[in-house]
Order: sequence, then structure tokens, then C-alpha cells
Amino acid sequence: MKGTLRVVDEALEDETRELLARRAARLREQGESTVEEAVHWIAEFPLGEERYALPLESLRAALPLRMVTPVPLSAPAVIGVLRFQGQVLSALSLASLLGGHGWRQDPAVLLVVDRGDGELCALDCEAIPRPTTLPLASVEAARARSEGPVVEVFTQDRQLIHLIDPRRLFLRSDVGVRHAR
Amino acid sequence: MPVDPMLQPLVAGFAVEAQEVIQKVTMDLLELEREGLENDALAKIYTRLGRHLHTLKGSAASLGLQDLGDIAHKLEDALAPLKAHTQKMPRPVVDVLLHGLDLFMLRAQAHADGRGDYLPDPAAALAQLVAAAPPPEESAVLPGGGFAQVAPDTASAPAASAVVSAPASVLSEAPAAPEPSGESADAGWRVSANQVTSLMREVERLREVRLRVEERSRELERVSTLLAKQGLLAETAEARTLLSGTGRSLRTDGEETSDVVDALEDGLKAITTRPTRTILDPLQRMVRDLSRQLGKEARLSVVGAEVSLDRRLLEKLQGALVHILRNAVDHGLEMPAEREKAGKHHEGALTLRVEQQGNLLYLEASDDGRGIDLQQVRKAAEKRGLVTAEEAARLNDNQVRDLIFSEGFSTRSDVTDTSGRGVGLDAVRATVESLQGRIEVASTRGQGTRFVLTLPVDLGSSPVLMVRALEQFVGLPMLAVESTQLARADMLRVGKRRAHMEYQGQLLPVVDLGARLGLRASSPPAEGQPLLIVQSGGKRVALGVDAVVGDRDLVIRPLPSEVRDVAAWQGAATLSRGELLLILRPDWVVSDSEKVSVSAVSRRALVVDDSLTARALHRAMLEAGGFQVHLAASGARALERLQADTYDVVICDLDMEEMDGIELIARLRENKDTRTLPVILVSAHDTQVARDRGLASGADGFLSKRECAAGRLLSEVLDVMSRRGSRA
Repeated sequence: MKGTLRVVDEALEDETRELLARRAARLREQGESTVEEAVHWIAEFPLGEERYALPLESLRAALPLRMVTPVPLSAPAVIGVLRFQGQVLSALSLASLLGGHGWRQDPAVLLVVDRGDGELCALDCEAIPRPTTLPLASVEAARARSEGPVVEVFTQDRQLIHLIDPRRLFLRSDVGVRHAR
Repeated sequence: MPVDPMLQPLVAGFAVEAQEVIQKVTMDLLELEREGLENDALAKIYTRLGRHLHTLKGSAASLGLQDLGDIAHKLEDALAPLKAHTQKMPRPVVDVLLHGLDLFMLRAQAHADGRGDYLPDPAAALAQLVAAAPPPEESAVLPGGGFAQVAPDTASAPAASAVVSAPASVLSEAPAAPEPSGESADAGWRVSANQVTSLMREVERLREVRLRVEERSRELERVSTLLAKQGLLAETAEARTLLSGTGRSLRTDGEETSDVVDALEDGLKAITTRPTRTILDPLQRMVRDLSRQLGKEARLSVVGAEVSLDRRLLEKLQGALVHILRNAVDHGLEMPAEREKAGKHHEGALTLRVEQQGNLLYLEASDDGRGIDLQQVRKAAEKRGLVTAEEAARLNDNQVRDLIFSEGFSTRSDVTDTSGRGVGLDAVRATVESLQGRIEVASTRGQGTRFVLTLPVDLGSSPVLMVRALEQFVGLPMLAVESTQLARADMLRVGKRRAHMEYQGQLLPVVDLGARLGLRASSPPAEGQPLLIVQSGGKRVALGVDAVVGDRDLVIRPLPSEVRDVAAWQGAATLSRGELLLILRPDWVVSDSEKVSVSAVSRRALVVDDSLTARALHRAMLEAGGFQVHLAASGARALERLQADTYDVVICDLDMEEMDGIELIARLRENKDTRTLPVILVSAHDTQVARDRGLASGADGFLSKRECAAGRLLSEVLDVMSRRGSRA
């Protein structure tokens, strides 16, 4: 009886060893491919009929769009101001910042974003963004081609993403005063 | 006179309490020696004074502090004859009482610090307390607002009275000086500013958590309603009951969290800030004593003392203010006879004005004295080697005035108790600069001098009047609000372009806040509408608002960079539920609004949408097309706007809660004034069914929100207006 059990145990051990070896080989392959294809993490969201994205590293939080106080006489892109972790932030209309863009659903989400100059602001958004990746090489190539705040990058499955560069967007944007003094 | 060890902890608390009471008594005494008070007012002050002295006596006796009880008793004795025949208090009596209070406070502090055993017998001082009035002595402001008699300079004041020497000896005999903060070492904890700041951030986070709890409670309610709508009432009864119970508990938890957040915020505010009054009130005494000493008369008026500021800032500013005011009394104010000869009141006027605008504090100290003699400043600077004669000749007036801030500068050739050592305004400037602030001086010969200190502030709160214009709530710094009136036809003068209001013999321009903020077209105030008299920089206007909500004490924070340059706003403050309140700049309110009024011939559009972002987008597109745009967040609000104003076109969301676009159009078509008003419906539903439904309801155009890209909305608006025959 004991002899039979040992045989079974040994067979299981062999099986387990093989399984672990296969897993290790698979992980090694994945690691090699990761090194080969560097990626750029993005937060992707819809804007009207198109897909837009922000670099994931610039995203600080996603909040429901509420408790925003409108600021009369501010620039058209300013929706209002809100509190975030003790700070007063501006909520801005992304569609307006992009020069007037149609939308499908009224935005219900605010993305708290680092503007690239250390300050935070909130951009409106139709839905909570999805974290995903773009090939880093494609991103770099697109950025080299254009100096604008939005560059077009194709995903691995040939989907077009409009990637926003917050620093360029806020350098260019006129989001100050609507009717000064 | 040892204090019972069991009572010792109570004595420290008593000393703090006594300090507060003595401050009140001091203010009352200064009021009593002023001229022109009615008998009723005098009687009230005497009664209050007597009550305060009695409190001091009773509290001291209850702790076994016999010496303090005796001093308070003697002070009551000194007050008694005057109280019986209500009259202005003679200055010598005020002097006696103030000296008695100093004596009381010094001994109370010594008892609190456990130094009571070392105190000299107060008998000699007590004996003279109600005797002849002693000459006024120089007083120094202690940190924390208390006063101490400074031992007189033997060279300048050889014959100090026994009354004065008693407190001086208390100081010299006392084994240890009190802590600079005025608190004994074991009275509290020392914490770093960073720890307090990080605590404040945590409280902000807690407030946000509380808001999320409220949101969860609303979500539960929605789930419960949805379940009920499924028609499975019996099957879901238990689940709905459970959900309702959980929702109620969440609401209660939310309310409790809210209370905790408020208490924490109040506590932190109390720890980190205190009213400016605590450093300004003691200055009244200093001004009074110094002017007496110099044979002058001066009165200090304080404006904005209720503004609460960071304690650290106040402690640093106290010395600077003392110095500026001593300078004003010593150098600025003339002798009474000289003032009268120059056509001025014999009593010099000193004013301290404190104002917080956003994260900037403005502190203005002015006098109506002789002003800065630039020639004298030039000479003094040359004499002290601060500039050469050639350099002095090249300086313009502003640069000469700036010399008074130089190290070692003084116009006095001799050294007196108050000045001449050349240590003064340079120290004030150093203090202000160490706080990242700046100091400026303006002066007119014969008319006076004004110092303005501008300092950045992170903490502190200001009184704000909360008002409403349409749906927009805004705050106005209380300091700028002179009074509130209700509009009456007989006080208004309505012209073609604007209305004026008669107020205190002047005609003030009436400014409609809603119109000034671009929320509606301007119209004369309605009967009974609140009008706030707002003043800033010498200008006044009557500001028409829709409602006065009330006053709040709020922490004003700076605005983010995207809206910082909007001239109307100085900052934003958080209200108790977490929402932000924008704070107006009074100087913008009183500035000439005519320049910014939109041309009367521009086309007007009303955007009706319950989405804040949709309203902002439509507004942006239409303004780019030259439209003047007003906004409404609901159909009901739109109807209100249409009753008050006229519009060339309405852009309305199809799907809104309460009243949707279809219903709004039906209401507009019923009214003869709006029957032909062009209306464009917009909708997130981009379907033929939605389009047909919208157009069938009487809309002139239909756009899906997807189609509302730049240009498309504008072309549709112009097209619809031209079809309706409007001014396209």
C-alpha cells in the first residue's frame, strides 16, 4: 500500500515540476517580449465619436462631476472651480480646449490632471477612462511629427487614439479671462 | 503668600482669564476718558467696569490670592466716587487704575508661574493706589497682549514713584521670565507648523469622505426606487427595507462626520489663528500712555480687527506695529496747540486698517500729523553717513522717503525714551521682509503719513457677506459693505442708461450684480430689492443683489491660475457642505461698469441645459459667434429669464429633469411674447425618432450634441433666426 502511494506521489511531483517548468518558460518569454516592445501607459476615454487619451502618469484622480462652482466672467473653457484635497482647482471643458468638439453624452466625470507645470486642474470627460498601453515607439514617432497638443497614434490593433500632451495643451490654451476689467 | 498646591493648576487658568478681563477693563477706561460720551453710555461703561473688577476680586479670593483680591478691591474703591456721579473719568484716575491693573496682572502671572513666594509685599503700592495720580509711565506691550511697567531709565526719569517701582521690582525679583508665548512650559504642546498643516489637509480629506458618504446614501435611495419600479414589490420588500435602513444609517453617519469635520476645523482654526484684535487692542493703551508722556493727544481707530490671522504672523507683526505707532505719535503728530494753529483737531488721529484679500493681507497705519519732511530726512541721512551729499541730491522724493527704512536712520539728534537710537523702521522692514511681505510709505507734508504693509497669508479667516444673484452665490468682504438698504422708489433716480440711489445726501450709481457678472441684462432695482452700499478706495456704489443670505467667517483661498486673472474675484472659500463660494473684489465692484457693458445691439441667446459642461460649451460657441449668452439650468429658470429679458434665440436640451425641452417649447408657444421665439433643441440622443419628436413639438431646429462641434451650432442658430425673420 505504501509502495503504491509513493509511486503516485512521485508521479504528481513529476507532473508539478513539469508544470512549473512550463510556466517559467512562458514567463521568460513574456519578459523578453516586454523588453523588446516598450509601451506607454495611457488613460483612454471617448470624446464624441473619437477616442482620446492622456498619459497615465499625468492622471491624479477621476471624480464625479459635481460640486463645481461656475466662475462668471472666466474664459469659455472654464466650467468652474472645485475643491480637491484641500486645493481649489479649475474644471475645464476638454471639448472647448480642443477648439469646439461635439460630444455624445454630457460629461459626468472629471479627470484631475497634472498640467505639466506642477499645477493640477480637472478636465471633463464622458466616461471613466480605461488604462491601456500604446507602443512607445509609435508615441515618440507621433510626437516627433507634430508639435501640437494632440498627436494621433495607432494602437496595435490599428485603432486611432488622439493622445493629449497636457504640457503642450496648457502652454497653448487661453483659459484666462473672458471679460477682463 | 503661597498658593495651595491643590489650587496651583487653576491659577494658570485664572491668569489667562484675568488677562482677558483686564484687556476689556483697559478698553473701557480709555473710552471713559474720552470726551463727548452721553451720560447713558458713561453709566453703562461704569457698570461694566465695576462688574469686571468685581469678577477679578472674586476669582482671586476664591483661589486664595489675597494680594490680588486686595488690589482689585482698591481699584473698586478708586472707581466708586466716579460711579456714583457719572462723569468723564479724569486722566489721573485712569492712570491710577491702569497702573493698578498692571500690578494685578504682573502678580497674577507670577502666581501662575509658581513665583508667588518671591513677590514683594504689595502694601506700599496698595497704599498709594488711590492716592495722588502718578505721572504716566512708559508701557511696553508684552507678547500676548499684556502690559508691563518697564523700569524707568535712571538717566531720563530719576524720580519714579513708589507705585511704579513696585511692579518694576516684581519684574526684577521674579526668578524666571515668562515664556515668550505667554504660556508656561507645561500649559500645552509645542507642535511644528508642518504637523498642523498636514492635519488640516487630513481634515479636508475627511470632508471629502463625508461628501462621498452622502453620495452613497443617495445611490442607495436610487437602487431602492429602481427596485420598486420593477413591479416586484412583494419580492423586493425585504431588500428595500434593508436598503432604506442602511441609507438612513449612512445619512446619520454622514451628518455625524459633518459635525466632526466642523469641530475639527474650528479647533484647528482656534489653534492656528486668532483675531487681529488681540494685538491691536493693547496698542490703544500704548498710544494713550505714550501721547500722555509726550504731552500730546492721540486717538487710535482700528478697522478690520475681527479678521483672524495666523498666530505666528500676528506675533511677528506686533512689534512692527508698536514701532510704527510709536513713530507716528513721536514724530508724526504735532503738539495740540500746534495742531490747532494748523486748523486741525487738537487730538491727533491714528488709524490702523486690516484687510485680507485672498491670500494677501493689507495692513495700513496712518496718521494726520505733520508728514515726512524730506529735507530733514536728506540731512539726517547725510549726517549719519547713510548717503553722501551728492547721492542725496540725486535721489527723487520716493527714494528719500525710503531712507527712513535704512539701518541707523533717525531724525532725532538726541536720544530720548522713545527714539533717537536709529533702531526702528529698518527693523520693521526686516520683519516684514522676513514674512515675504513689503512695506511702502506715502506722506504729504502737513497732512500725514501712511504706511502700507502687504503680506502673504496662508491661514486665517475674514468676515464675508454671502449674497445671491440669480442662482449664483457670492461673497463680499464685510469690510467693504457699509450698509444694506431695501430699494424704494423715492430714493431711486432711474435714468436712460443707469439708475442712481440717494444715500446720505449723495447720488450713488446702482450696479446690478447679476448684470455685472454677465448673468442677465441690466435692469433698475425692483421695489424691496436688497441694495448693498459697497465702498472701496473712496468710491461707493449701491450693489443690487437678489438676496442677502447672511454673514460667514470664511477662510479665503487663492484661485487657480486659469481664473486668477479674472478681475471680479479675489479668491474662493469653502462652505460647510464643501461647496466653494467665490469672493468678489470690492475694487472691481465699485469700478466703472460702463466700460464692460456689452453692446446693446449684440444678439442674445439663452442656453437651457441641466448639464454644467453642456452650458459652458454652448456658451463658448455662441460667444465666439458674437452672441451675448445667458444660461439657465432648468426649464423653470428659463421661463423666469424669459419673463425678465428678451432673447433672439433659445438653445434648449431635450432631456432635462422636471421640465424637458418639449414641455418648455409648449409653454413658450402658449405665450404671445414668446410664440415666435426661435428654439433649437439639442440632445444626446442622435436618433431619427428623437429628431422627429423634437421638431414635431415646435422646435425650429434639432442638433445632436455630437453635431455641436464648433461652427455647426452657430450656423444652425443663424439659419433658424433668419428663417424666423430675426436679426440674424
